[in-house]
Amino acid sequence: MAGTLQRQPTVTPARRLAWRAGAVVTALAITTLFLALSGRDPRLLADLVVRSTVGSRFGLEDLALFLTPLLLTGAAVTVTGRIGVWNIGAEGQFYAGAIGATAVGLFLPGPAWLVLPLMAASGIACGMGWILVPALARAYAGVNEIITTLLLNFVAGLLTTYLAVGPWHDRVTGALASTGRLPVRIPEIWGVVHWGFPIALVIVLALAWLTTRTRWGYQITIGGANEQAARYAGIPVRARILGVMLLSGGLAALAGVFEVAGTVHRLQGGLANNFGYFGIVVAVLARGSCLNVLPAALLMAFILNAGIVLQTQQLTGSTVLAITGLVLFMIAIADELAHYQPVTVRPATVGPITVGKEARP
Amino acid sequence: MTDLLHARNDGPPPIPPGTPPILQLQGICKYFPGVIANQDVSLDIAPGEIHALLGENGAGKSTLMNVVTGIYQPDGGEIILDGYGQVFAAPQDAIRAGIGMVHQHFKLVPAFTVAENIHLGWRDTPFLASSKVLETRTRALSERFGFSVRPDAIVADLSAGEQQRVEILRVLARQARLLILDEPTAVLTPAETRDLFRALRAFRAQGNAVILISHKLDEVIDISDRISILRAGRNVGTYRTADCTAAGLATTMVGREIVRRDLRARAPGATPIAPTPVLSLRGATCRDPRGVETLRDVTLDLHGGEILGIAGVAGNGQRELTQVLTGMMPLSAGEILLDGTPAPLADPAAFARAGIGHIPEDRLRSGLAPALDITDNMALREYDRPPIGRHGLYDHTAANHLAQTIVEAAEVRVPDLATPIRNLSGGNQQRLVARREIRIASRVLVAAYPSRGLDIGAIATVLRYLTELRDQGVAVVLVSEDLEELLNVADRIGVLFHGRLMATIDAATADMETIGLLMGGRSAHNGAPHGGSTQDGGQA
Repeated sequence: MAGTLQRQPTVTPARRLAWRAGAVVTALAITTLFLALSGRDPRLLADLVVRSTVGSRFGLEDLALFLTPLLLTGAAVTVTGRIGVWNIGAEGQFYAGAIGATAVGLFLPGPAWLVLPLMAASGIACGMGWILVPALARAYAGVNEIITTLLLNFVAGLLTTYLAVGPWHDRVTGALASTGRLPVRIPEIWGVVHWGFPIALVIVLALAWLTTRTRWGYQITIGGANEQAARYAGIPVRARILGVMLLSGGLAALAGVFEVAGTVHRLQGGLANNFGYFGIVVAVLARGSCLNVLPAALLMAFILNAGIVLQTQQLTGSTVLAITGLVLFMIAIADELAHYQPVTVRPATVGPITVGKEARP
Repeated sequence: MTDLLHARNDGPPPIPPGTPPILQLQGICKYFPGVIANQDVSLDIAPGEIHALLGENGAGKSTLMNVVTGIYQPDGGEIILDGYGQVFAAPQDAIRAGIGMVHQHFKLVPAFTVAENIHLGWRDTPFLASSKVLETRTRALSERFGFSVRPDAIVADLSAGEQQRVEILRVLARQARLLILDEPTAVLTPAETRDLFRALRAFRAQGNAVILISHKLDEVIDISDRISILRAGRNVGTYRTADCTAAGLATTMVGREIVRRDLRARAPGATPIAPTPVLSLRGATCRDPRGVETLRDVTLDLHGGEILGIAGVAGNGQRELTQVLTGMMPLSAGEILLDGTPAPLADPAAFARAGIGHIPEDRLRSGLAPALDITDNMALREYDRPPIGRHGLYDHTAANHLAQTIVEAAEVRVPDLATPIRNLSGGNQQRLVARREIRIASRVLVAAYPSRGLDIGAIATVLRYLTELRDQGVAVVLVSEDLEELLNVADRIGVLFHGRLMATIDAATADMETIGLLMGGRSAHNGAPHGGSTQDGGQA
């Protein structure tokens, strides 16, 4: 008898989850080790992080504020992933959504119940417009969407800065940093947590249903798994790619709308805070399932929140990127290792026990 | 050194007696798991000859050439070059020994220029390789070997014939003395073919040799000096071309022991052949992106309750025909009629709804999503109709039910419907695809190579599916490269050659020779005087 490792083609969800939990614990352990090596007291820091994230009301409120955009950008990247497309431009669509919402909020006076939906609609339209050209190019000309969506991020970021310090800058204070405060805001439901949070949760749940329980979702699954088979079955793959990319742009833009109308209340450079890029991380962790976006975004929000706490302890802001990278790296390894299972190989039994009975003279 | 410019006499050059063959194969064997690709193949290629290699698909021609060019190592036998034994450990060894091969599917870099392609991976390429230098060198090569090419043209912009000239020039530049051409005329126009043959004769006149793999009997008789025929991995004979006739070659090539089992007999109570066609093609023509006609002016009628077999060497328009019949490919000319009225063009969903099933040629690539589970794959054809698809929804429970039904009908044992379908064996995948398509094929089933890659038991099962469907009054199109299978199952057999439907003949009275001639591009009438069984196959 000899024990050996064998790669299994499929992994049960429970097994994968166990490996991933192990990966996160390992990543945190390595982080702790390095913090200890740099002369800090890990126990003190851990205590602080827990208290100021999940251990206190303020921490939970902050967590929800981080979670809101991450849910939406994570979902935005996940839905395109289901049809085999990578939307790296959630950051840019986030900005486009914020710009669209700010334009309505600043220049269209009216009651909040009317202006807020208009801001959302305008923001979503802007986000869809921002991804329209890459989507058309991908669906009808096969242009790689990773490059096109990524490059538009920088355009959107710079456009936001230009608007915030240029034509739309704050005329009240005269400071060249942001637009004036928006006259309307998304109402809060719990401390600083606004309605954007439950709406984002509902949207993610709706997407999970849409992608697995509808004809549209099935067509997208097939289109993403094998485009040739999808064409064979008469699925309009190009139209679906276009539709999914527009949906994705709209989702990322809605995150921008919520951020500007619910959390920051002004348009300013750097507003997106890398939420678009962290959306990619969330999508990678979610492995194509919209339901998985919930825990993935929660983990990401926790790391971001912990990063803020660590910064108050004179740790550099890059720490959070390092921890994120470490977590992703460990999870990638765990996902692969989860395929391997020890099997016991018995040497082939040679003998008359089974053969002999069957044998006839 | 060869200098073709000064050699324009066409015939084989006088070779002094006692000159050893350029290439001599002695008892070459090559085995793959479960397959004998080559068994005891012996072959001589003399200097100054064009040697044709004939054989059906899977007869072992490609494997043999891969052994000669060093891509495969033989499991037995010897390769002797100019009288000396050689071992080619890698393709580079064969190239250095003067053996050059032009593959059927060109191995050029489409984004590079002609000059860059010629010089790619060549040890004679100068260290300072500016495009000007490369183009000058290419122009010189082009003049020396008599293959005109445009050195600065991008390969992707060239026609198939021009690309082939680049390939040949690439090989000749590396001082090949033995040129191997795999189906060189498949992509050429008649004028380009004439140019190629002229160049090959000039090459031969220099004392070089050519191995020509082809299915086209006329061409082979036109250009070759000797012909070897491979069948089931063995060389069944080498003949002087002057002694051969097209009819004789066709029979030798396909004429193996055919066990004729008549599966044409209908079960009692079977639906008779419908008098009016359910699906018809009228002058159907397709072009590929390069503008080459892949299907030419095909006219045929499919009647319910019959099986139409499609024979032909692979790559003669079978793929296009099945895609046109299932609504996957638009026509560039002609029309497709469903119940006598023009069908929507290139709308496979509409064809599926109209009751046309399709077992595709390459099931893993185009008929299944390998990474998805059995349920999702089995729902591929019925996801948009009740009970699975109602009000735009996708009912997973109903899909599981359907998958279970198909799995039971196909008599496939699966551990779990959530298993990714790529984990099943090829035979089980094929049975599942077949049952899935049979479910929707209420009018027509187009089955492309349904028995390819299956063992005998699975083949029998799939063929039984087809005859049962026929007995229910469905029109079945069976595309196959196995003549035995076609003769046993089909009612009529259409033969495709170069995208053209050469003829449609009655399978009950068809003989191998007629089919063989048609597959080689000879029309049945002038090739076989006794071709009385042929009907006019819809050729207007």
